[in-house]
Parts: sequence; structure tokens; C-alpha cells
Amino acid sequence: MNRSVKFGIGACLLAAAIGYLMFAGVQTSSSYYFTVAEFMPRQHEMGGEPLRLAGRVHEGSLRKQTSAKGTEMNFTIGDFAGPNRVPVEGAIPVVYTGVVPDMFAEGRDVIVEGRYVDGVLQAHAVMTSCPSKYEAKPGEAAQAAAN
Amino acid sequence: MTPELGPLALHLGLVLAIYAIVTSLVGVWWRRRDVIASGEHAAFAVWGCVIVAAATLLHALSIHDFRIEYVAAYSSSTLPLYYTVAALWGGQKGSLLFWLVILTSITAIVELQNRHRNRELMPYVTAVLMGIATFFLLMVVFITPPFEALAVPATEGRDLNPLLQNYWMTIHPPSLYTGFVGMSVPFAFAMAALATGKLGDTWIRSTRRWTLFAWFFLSLGNLFGALWAYEVLGWGGYWAWDPVENAAFMPWLTGTAFLHSVMIQEKKNMLKVWNMVLVILTFSLTIFGTFLTRSGVISSVHSFTQSGLGPFFLSFLAIVLVVSLSLLIWRLPLLRSENELDSLLSRESAFLFNNLILVGIAFAVFWGTMFPVISEWVRGVKITVGPPFFNRVNAPLGLVLLFLMGVGPIIAWRRATWAHLRRSFAWPVSVGIVGGIACLALGGGNYWSLVAFSLIFFVLGTISAEFWRGMRARQIMLGESAPLALLRLTVKNKRRYGGYVVHLAIVMIFIAITGTSVFRQEKQVTVNQGERFEIGGYTLQYNGLEERDTPHISYLMANVGVFSGDRQVDTLKPEKRFYKKPEQPTTEVAIRSTLGSDLYLVLGSYDEDTHMATILAYLNPLIGFLYWGGATLAFGTLIVIWPAPLAAREPAYAAAPEAREGTQS
Repeated sequence: MNRSVKFGIGACLLAAAIGYLMFAGVQTSSSYYFTVAEFMPRQHEMGGEPLRLAGRVHEGSLRKQTSAKGTEMNFTIGDFAGPNRVPVEGAIPVVYTGVVPDMFAEGRDVIVEGRYVDGVLQAHAVMTSCPSKYEAKPGEAAQAAAN
Repeated sequence: MTPELGPLALHLGLVLAIYAIVTSLVGVWWRRRDVIASGEHAAFAVWGCVIVAAATLLHALSIHDFRIEYVAAYSSSTLPLYYTVAALWGGQKGSLLFWLVILTSITAIVELQNRHRNRELMPYVTAVLMGIATFFLLMVVFITPPFEALAVPATEGRDLNPLLQNYWMTIHPPSLYTGFVGMSVPFAFAMAALATGKLGDTWIRSTRRWTLFAWFFLSLGNLFGALWAYEVLGWGGYWAWDPVENAAFMPWLTGTAFLHSVMIQEKKNMLKVWNMVLVILTFSLTIFGTFLTRSGVISSVHSFTQSGLGPFFLSFLAIVLVVSLSLLIWRLPLLRSENELDSLLSRESAFLFNNLILVGIAFAVFWGTMFPVISEWVRGVKITVGPPFFNRVNAPLGLVLLFLMGVGPIIAWRRATWAHLRRSFAWPVSVGIVGGIACLALGGGNYWSLVAFSLIFFVLGTISAEFWRGMRARQIMLGESAPLALLRLTVKNKRRYGGYVVHLAIVMIFIAITGTSVFRQEKQVTVNQGERFEIGGYTLQYNGLEERDTPHISYLMANVGVFSGDRQVDTLKPEKRFYKKPEQPTTEVAIRSTLGSDLYLVLGSYDEDTHMATILAYLNPLIGFLYWGGATLAFGTLIVIWPAPLAAREPAYAAAPEAREGTQS
């Protein structure tokens, strides 16, 4: 057999292996990404699915309680207000036990990762994105992964 | 220095850069040396303009000229000078100017080095480098002007983001930018080679050291970023497969592939097209990476906010790809390989597979990073993939790469016979098996760590065998002592043995990755004052909160006693800091480093009334190898890059009349 054919077969096998690894990787670790505005109309189809939801923490919605299990937080997130648009109405309740990044506060933009169960987002990670006030490069990557 | 000088210099620089492109190309067309020389002089002038602009901005930062928006946004009157300088690249606008400083400085050095060499290539090299500079100058002149004045001058600046006030952060962006920009040089020479049809390995030899230079800074930039994340961000790890990290990692992967495949072209005259593809890919990925981090296309936890730069970078990337690939297709007939692969069991083949895997990893990283965009196109829904995707794909590929790193340096060129394989690999394979079993017996672990450590020892076996063989030969033939033989061996074959030192560094980084991913322990506890908990052989006792106040920052620290058995070995104080300007809390981790592992504590949250605290404790085994690996990598690359003494330089150049400047490679 021609050697370049042999090499071609080797390369194809390798490409197939990489393709398989990528396919399997996507199957196990993908989650939907929505902004709250995108999520509101489809929230009923998304029960139990892994989600990443981007929104703004509502002022006055944050409740904290510290016990031996950790700090349990309840808050709601809503749509961002853009410069030229009115935010979409509605609030998604979030419950999260664990550690939040330093930048986390009411009124801040966050990405919440978790599953949407019975109208509540059961979060396992809360990340903050940079508020536009700081255009600084590395904002907050404190991935408070509580697993 | 008035701030008006800055925009003036940038405008002038833009005009001169365009002039340099036009004169370089027209000079070739007309065959006029004076016109070409005029273009080269313009390139120096562009450098001068950019330096003046950067100096103006630095000056404005140092005198706290808060009339300028950028100065007010990224510094304050109380910011230490050290970080005031860092503010030059702390924000978007400044970072593009800083990029230009590096690009035009490199261009000036390239022009100086090649005053009497590569004369046919140089007009195109100048045109390409100035083309890139023109793009960035257009950005800083029209889209993100760094000297924009505030309508109402600020009385005080908003200060540099506290997260950036860290020593790694002062050196991480410059390293990364230097690495990114450095890749422009091999790209420019490759384009010049395609344009002129001089497709031998001259362009590769002329840029080998620049490629290594760029690779050196890209490697260190990535490592510094990882160490910054580890010491500052406080989630216990150093690499999260965030789009920003991936953006810097992808060109490193293709750049590494390029460094290896050029050896095949130099030795065997093969892979010419592939090398062109790699150099185009690497340069495009540096532009793509910059696009990713500035455009907001992918939501990253640490990206720049949306700035309107995205479409410009994307257009520039499109131009780069269309022009370079058209040139490549046009020259395909001239790029035919002069040799063929002789056997699957050969060094050429090992190098080829190494290349395929590096590019495969780069593709997987690209795919994972762009998955939200791709899925939105295909299915209309954004779907993101997390770190598990990247780990699942890249861990096996990384291990295959590790295996090839042990095979490549000692397998025979052209065709390896079984007898040769048995002879060469007996030692490395034995070391690998014994080492793997020893690790399993000592530290446990799982299937992954067994494979990883066996391969790590296998590669160590290969590297040690190479040094041993070379050293013994010198000892026997020249009667040198062992250390002297080792030293001379390395000095005489810097490329080869320096390369092995870099391999050693990569092995160390693999040790750190295996240690921290397989053996890592983590615990999150919420404890009352006086309560104890355990992690990885340590007993930790939470003794309560301490407070400290300074005009700039107030501190809140958790006092944690660290016990090993009954003996207190350390007191760690993970803290929350509250910067007063801008008002922002930050988390400062506390680390106890020992030879084998790091104990890493984070104060997660606390209850002011009850003084209950949530503490995150991580045990990161073998992470010290990340630091040592970084240092070894720098050392090894310096050995490879270090210029040979004049007398020892390659005779091909010494004989050529053009070689008065000495050689690059």
C-alpha cells in the first residue's frame, strides 16, 4: 500500500477520534444560554434543562441567610436596560447556596448557571460580568462553582 | 508635553504607514531602490510617531491629567507609579496603542536586521507589517482614540480596577501582546516569499528566531495569566477555558505546530504548503483572539465591554485570510514537496502526527469557544459548553501529544527498523513503566493519572537518554568531565538540547496539570468561631475575623490556624478587601506552599452578627511544577534563541555577500 495512503488513513482515524471526542464532549457539558428577555417567552419548554441565564439582579430582591450549610441566597433577575430600549417585564427567581463573586450585588449584571425547576432557577454557579462602568479587561471570573 | 501631541503623532503615523506600503510596492514595480528605501525610512518614522504618542499618554498618566478620559478612567492620583505605567495597557484604547508600540518597534528591528539581507523579500515584508500597523492606527485614530478629552475635566480618576493591581497583571498583557505581535514577522516573511516566489527555506531561516521570540512571550503570557487567575481570582484553579484564555491559547498551539514542522522543511524539504498554512493560521488566530476579546461576540466573564471594534477586526481578518490564501493558492505549483514520507515509523511521521494533534486541539478549542455562535446559526439557540467539554476532548489528545514528545526526538529519520526501535526505546519505556507503577503505589490516583505519569516518565527517559548519549560520546572522545561535556554538548547544539529543556518544561507543566486535576481536593465549610475542619491531612481551625483599616483599603481577614497532626504549622489569613475608590470588594486568597502541594484558602462570605464564615479550602497537589515549568521553559527557549558566536554561524551565510549583518538563524 502506498505510504501516503497509509498516512492519510492514520490522519483520518485521528480526525475521527477528535470528532468523536468533541461530539461526546458537547453531549455531556452543553447548556442553553439566554438573556432573561429571550428566556421569558420560552420558560415553559425549559423545565429541568441545564441553563445559563444572563440578567440583572433586581434592586431590593436579595435575601441572605447563613447557616451551617452555607449562605443561602434568594433573588430575582430581570432584563438589562439597554441605552435605546425599555427592559422586558418579568422576573426569574433564583435560589443559590454558596459563594458569590465580589462584584455580585443588587443592580449588577450576572450570569446564573443552573436548572429551571418549578419556576425557580436552582443555581449552582453565579458569575458577574463587568458593569459597563469599568471597561477593564479581566472583570470577575470568580467562578463560584458550588459542586 | 501637551496631550495634543498624541493625536497629531498618530495621524502622522497613519499617513506615513500608508506611504510606506505604497512606496514599498511601487518601488518593486518600478525597480527603484530609492523608492523602496523611502518606504523603509517611513516605517522608522511610523515607529517614532507611535513612540511619541505612547510617551504622551504615559506622561499624561504620570502627571494625572484628568482632562483626558482614558487617564481619568484608569488611574488616580493615589495609584502607585508602578500601576500607573500598567494603566497604559489596562484599558481598551491604551492597549491598542501599546500594541502599536510593540508592532512598530519590531518592524524597526526587522528593518535594521535586514538592511543588507533578504533584499528581495524586504519591500513586501515592510508592506505587510505596515499594513497591519495601518489597521491598528486606523483604530486608534478613528474608532477608539486614547486621547479623547472629557467634556468636563475630572477632579479625580476612577482608578485602575483593583483586580489588575497585581504584579502578574503588570507583566501578563505585555508578554501576551509581544507574543501576538511577534507572530506578524513570520507571517510577513511568508507573504513576501509567496509574493516573490522565493519559496525555499530562506524565509523560514530568517524568521526562525522571531518565531521563537514570539512563542517565548506567548508561552509566558499564557502562564502569567494562569498564575494571575490562580493567585487573584480565588476559585482555586488556574485555567477555566474562558474565551479570553482560549483566544491566547489557540495561536500558541498552531505556533508550536509551526515550530516543529519547519524542522521537517529545513531537513527534508517537505511540508511547504502545510508550513504556509500554519503561519497564516497562527497570525489569523492572533487577530481573531483580539477580535474575540474586544467584540463581545462571546460572553466572557472577563471580556472587554462591547466597543464597536468587532466588525473592524472581523473585516481585517477577512482581508488577511483572503489575501494570504489567494497568494498561497497562486503559488501552489511552486510549493510541491521534494520528498515523500518514507514510512509511518519515522521521525517525519511523528512530527506530522504531533502537528495534526496540535492543530486538532486548536480546532476543538475553537469549536468549543465558538459553540454559542455556531449553535445560534444552526439551531437558533445559543448553547454554551463548559470546561468539562474542553477537558474531555483535550485530556486524551494532550496525552497522545505527550507520548509523541517521547517518540519524536529519538525515532530514526526516514524509516525506523524494529531493531532500532528496541534499542532506542528500551530505556524510556522501562522508565515509563517503572515510574507509572511507582506513582500508583505511592499516591494512588486513577486510570488517567497512571497513564499520565507513565508517559511523563517515558518522556523523561527519552530526554535523559539523549543527554546521556551525547555526554558519554564527548567524555569518551574528548576526555571531558561529565559536567563540562554536558555544558559543551548543549552549547554546541543549542537548538537540539535547548529544545529538550523546553520539552522538560512541558513535562513539568503536565505534572502540575495531572496533579491538580486528579488529586485536587476541595471543601466548602461554614464554621463558627473555634470550629475545626480537615482537608488533605491538615486540620484547620477558624479563630474569628480580624479587621484593619487604611485610608485606601479596609481589610477583613479570617484567622485560620493550620495544624498538621497536633502541631500548629501556620496561620493563614484569607481576606476580603474593600477598595474605597472605586468602591469594590476583592478577595485575597491565602496560600501555604510546600514542596508537594498548595493549601489554598478563600474567605467566601461571613455573617457580621454571628461571625460565622464560609471558607473554601483547596488542596492543589504538585502545582509548584507550574511555576518551575514556566521558569524552565524560559530557560530552554533562551538557550535555543541565544545567538551563536559569529565564527560558528552557518557557512552558507558567511559565504554570501549579503551576510555582513550576521545571520538570524
